[in-house]
Amino acid sequence: MKVFFQLPAIPSGLKARSTYLIAVLIFMLIFNLACVPKTSPEAQPGAKVTGLADKVIFVEEPDSAKAVRMIEAGDMDVYASGLTDAELVRRIKSSSVMGSETSYGLNFELTLNPVGPTFPGTGKLNPFYVPAIREALNWLVDRGHIAEEIFGGLAVPRYFALSSAFPDYARLAAIARAQEIKYAPSLAKARAVIDEEMKKLGAVMVAGKWNYKGAPVELIFLIRTEDKRRDVGDYVATLLEESGFVVNRQYKRAAEASPIWIGSDPAVGRWNLYTGGWVSTIINRDQAGNFNFYYTPRGRPEMLWQAYTPAPELDRIADTLDRRDYKTWEEREQLMADALQLSMKDSVRIWLVDTVNVWPRRAELALASDLAGGISGSWLWPYTLRFTDKKGGTVRFGSPSILTEPWNPVAGTNWIFDVMVSRGTLETATLPDPFTGLLWPNRVKSAEVYVQEGLPVTRTHDWLSLSFVPSIQVPPDAWIDWDPVAQRFRTVGEVHPEGLKARTKTVVRYVDDLYQRHWHDGTKMSVADLVVGLALGFDRANSKSAIFDEAEVPSFQTFIRYFRGARIVQEDPLVAEVYGDLTYPDAEWIADSAAGYFYSTVPWHTLAIGIIPEKNHELAFSSSKADRLKVEWMSYIAGPSLPILERSRVQALNEGFIPYPNVVGKYVNAEQAKERYTALGEWYQKRGHFWVSNGPFYVESIHPVEKTIVLQRSEEHLTVDARWLAFTKPGIAEVKVSGPAQVRIGANARFQVDVTLNGKPYAAKDIDFVKFLLFAARGELVQTGDAESVRDGQWRVTLTPEQTASLQAGANRLEVAVVSRLVSIPSFESVTFVTLPR
Amino acid sequence: MSFVSGVISGAEGPSGGRRRAVPSTLTRVAKYTGYRAVALLLTVVVGVYLTILIANMGGYVDQIRIAQIREAAGGRVAADRQLQGLPISEIRNRIDQYVELEVKRLRLDRPFALRSLTYLTDALSLSLGRAENLTSDSGSRQVRQILLERLPATLLLFATSYLLLFFGTIFVALFLSRRYGSFLDRAVVALVPTSVAPSWFYGVFLILIFAAMLKVLPFGGMVTSPPPQSALEYGLSVLKHMILPVAAITIGSVFATIYSWRTFFLIYSAEDYVEMAKAKGLSSSTIERRYILRPTLPTIITTFSLGLIGIWTGSIILETVFNWPGLGRLLFQAVSAFDTPVVIGAEVIYAYLLAFTVFLLDIVYALVDPRVKVGEERKQ
Repeated sequence: MKVFFQLPAIPSGLKARSTYLIAVLIFMLIFNLACVPKTSPEAQPGAKVTGLADKVIFVEEPDSAKAVRMIEAGDMDVYASGLTDAELVRRIKSSSVMGSETSYGLNFELTLNPVGPTFPGTGKLNPFYVPAIREALNWLVDRGHIAEEIFGGLAVPRYFALSSAFPDYARLAAIARAQEIKYAPSLAKARAVIDEEMKKLGAVMVAGKWNYKGAPVELIFLIRTEDKRRDVGDYVATLLEESGFVVNRQYKRAAEASPIWIGSDPAVGRWNLYTGGWVSTIINRDQAGNFNFYYTPRGRPEMLWQAYTPAPELDRIADTLDRRDYKTWEEREQLMADALQLSMKDSVRIWLVDTVNVWPRRAELALASDLAGGISGSWLWPYTLRFTDKKGGTVRFGSPSILTEPWNPVAGTNWIFDVMVSRGTLETATLPDPFTGLLWPNRVKSAEVYVQEGLPVTRTHDWLSLSFVPSIQVPPDAWIDWDPVAQRFRTVGEVHPEGLKARTKTVVRYVDDLYQRHWHDGTKMSVADLVVGLALGFDRANSKSAIFDEAEVPSFQTFIRYFRGARIVQEDPLVAEVYGDLTYPDAEWIADSAAGYFYSTVPWHTLAIGIIPEKNHELAFSSSKADRLKVEWMSYIAGPSLPILERSRVQALNEGFIPYPNVVGKYVNAEQAKERYTALGEWYQKRGHFWVSNGPFYVESIHPVEKTIVLQRSEEHLTVDARWLAFTKPGIAEVKVSGPAQVRIGANARFQVDVTLNGKPYAAKDIDFVKFLLFAARGELVQTGDAESVRDGQWRVTLTPEQTASLQAGANRLEVAVVSRLVSIPSFESVTFVTLPR
Repeated sequence: MSFVSGVISGAEGPSGGRRRAVPSTLTRVAKYTGYRAVALLLTVVVGVYLTILIANMGGYVDQIRIAQIREAAGGRVAADRQLQGLPISEIRNRIDQYVELEVKRLRLDRPFALRSLTYLTDALSLSLGRAENLTSDSGSRQVRQILLERLPATLLLFATSYLLLFFGTIFVALFLSRRYGSFLDRAVVALVPTSVAPSWFYGVFLILIFAAMLKVLPFGGMVTSPPPQSALEYGLSVLKHMILPVAAITIGSVFATIYSWRTFFLIYSAEDYVEMAKAKGLSSSTIERRYILRPTLPTIITTFSLGLIGIWTGSIILETVFNWPGLGRLLFQAVSAFDTPVVIGAEVIYAYLLAFTVFLLDIVYALVDPRVKVGEERKQ
């Protein structure tokens, strides 16, 4: 963004000039500060802000340590990779010129081989066949030690298949906390269980080592070496050795370990335990399927999973949760709570830590970062990227990799670092909340979600409505299938003359000015842009199509399994209806899915110039098809694809080519088509690429060998919605609990819970719940309950005489869990008090 | 030198026997050249095929890849929220579909033995084929394009450094060999241990000093971001970005190289014929040129040539430290990704360059060194 000043005439005389200059400087400073966008959680709907970054230069820098030094020296403003090196993070935290963002998407665990009691392949004893020994590992390992000592504080202990930063953990905070205390580290307890169970297996202790049939019991431990798992592996191996096992430490990289732990039959006995790791780049709001995935043979088809034999109750609950076969939210919560406890008994994997990744940036830079995916996983960075001490400016964005694979709008690169850059150029219909994973409307005004009665769906935001209806009939004129020969949609009336029902119906109302917005090449959005994507999706997956791509078939099969029809009800303002059988616990996700059917981030004419070479087998949208045909994988931004795409553009211009004329042709004529191709040609001449979209930034220039991409803010996005700025900092509640140090048994006791955000009271409306857990002197959980709201920022826990009567004399602990609606991470705090006899 | 002298027969002193008749020499040279060409070609074929076998661990990489493909397909399916709740048979089917697509794409459904022959044919014919995972910076899957895009950056950095280092050190070494035992000579000898550390090690320090602390030179990269529009500014920017890596390469080996050449020249300076020349009262420059440089020329040329083609492979760590977009980093990425065609592509070009250089050197020796004779020769 540029702001021009008209300066008055300079007064004569040195003193006057000095005064004048100082005045101008002060004025400019005030003006600048006034223009700097501020974080505004309370921004009015529709309020706009200016002054965000004008230009972003992405450069490749694979060395994270150097990136930190560059940020410190002012050569880089932000680095798009989460750091886990404690030393680097200390450097960032102690610097006055650097700030950081935090994410929690990566976790580590111990995967155990459950085959046994002896391996058919080797005849050797496998102690992890016994669930009790597996469960005992929970007491054996000290997760706090791993988090604090091995990860240097850049991790938090994790006990369950649920991420401690995602909403399900927050909802189950009270139960989870009780389980965490039950499984607190205890070497004595772990060894007692191991001793007992090993003896049952027929093993004997000889000179401090377990022996089975005359030979020491050996555990083959596959230890990954690329990250901290090497240290974690050594730590666990030492604990196991001290428990009487001989541990064969096999240090391996992913490629070496993969054929063994997941690629071989666990019954062969090539391994006993493995340092596993899992990652989530989005906030998963529904982790109910995790128990099915991690603990049952239904999780994956590999032989390891087929060796899982969960207890029937865990198996049933995991299956029920995975199929979402519950009627109410309460029923789901109960199933989740049961699964949590049963999974700890099963323990085919021992969850260890959720890592904390730190994303460095300049202190004066602000942007939205995703709690799971960090900066590279953030969808909101283009809407929030700004300097807090000045307006506009150029941001230098470092990334471990850039231009890793070709960009095309259909099946191009899905590398996170490429996707992060391209997100800056796209304007999607909805945008995910980086702190809760829920969706907010962007180019959608509102939505109405209708769900069949009995399905457990809830709504949080008020931009959509949720209604439950007995049944949903799909109208006969809705599109449901594709005729590749006639190149037109087939309707529900044609395909299902008997009628068709769906489980959900979503009415999406798009913003009124949808067609007033321009694509980056200056052309205006039209209905043609919104329907071409749906046609292309059907066409590519149809074996009779000229652009059939077998790589598209699996995902299309998933899509068609749930798709029950879609139609445009009104063109301007656009209103569309989408019918489907797929449901999510959050209505926002259903609305988000529906909003994408008649919305596009790419104009039809840029797709058209790719369809031509795809048909001619000169280029291919997907990597798979390109390799099969031995042609180039289509790239809209660089390389040998560009001359071919330019030739296609000229051909399309000369022929007035309109893809899918029976669908798109209704909304565009030959003259308009030529205007579009001409505009695209001018764009190509000016920018040297064909990447045209509608997002906050356009691609100004690309330098492949120099690994640099320059994005420039689009004229239409010089102002952005003020509401997005509120997502620059997660509203993680700060909790303080205070109350009496001594409580008489059988008497009332009141504790005050102060909940704040940046030192200010946390609005009660933004708090989902505040629960308390009361632990007696020996650590057992004796009571749970809800705190009551007193006012914003203040809650109260009242222990009744009956509740205090259940305590014995001694030291007790009251733990409070605060769950916010603004962020998925719960906050915990506790206070200790002494109970006195009556 | 021993590598070369082992295949050259009939080497004699400066006053060797009379030459044979011209037609006989030509026949011998042609015959010898033919044998050498065939032998070198066979060496290249064997070398490249061994590289294919090693890069694929004799075919074991197929197992690794299939396991990785299955792992990735499982992860992809697990992450697809639309698939949650589907019967396991359907999920398995979906994973199998993804695996099959990828297996077909990488042609892992064909036995490795057959694929290895395809790799070999592509390599030897220099068509180089398609990469399996990597793409060029501009997005091409053609191995040739992938290598060609990185070649200029590597050549620029390492050729500059190499030429500076090579010629600079030879002249300094000659200079020192004439001043054996001088302060400068002793100083260089004392500094030789600095070459124990690799050049990237000095690179890290240079970056810390000149980029992080003094802020006078860039941290890395080949050019300013965004690259300047004008060719002149672009060139100047590249030069500025080359200062630290060139300095690192130079510091990393300059003293050891000088020491090596200087010792070499000292040995030759002590030859009887040099002493004789000195006794005859010839000028030191004549002695240096005719009696020291001339007989050492084959060694100098061999070292220069082999060093020059060594540039082809770049330097993995140095390029990484300076974020230099060269072939070294590319090769590292290719090896990590098990991208056999890229690895083989780079290696076969190196093999051809090496074979051609060795072949050429044999001819050059005959031209520059009067002691070298080709084939059997009877003394008259």
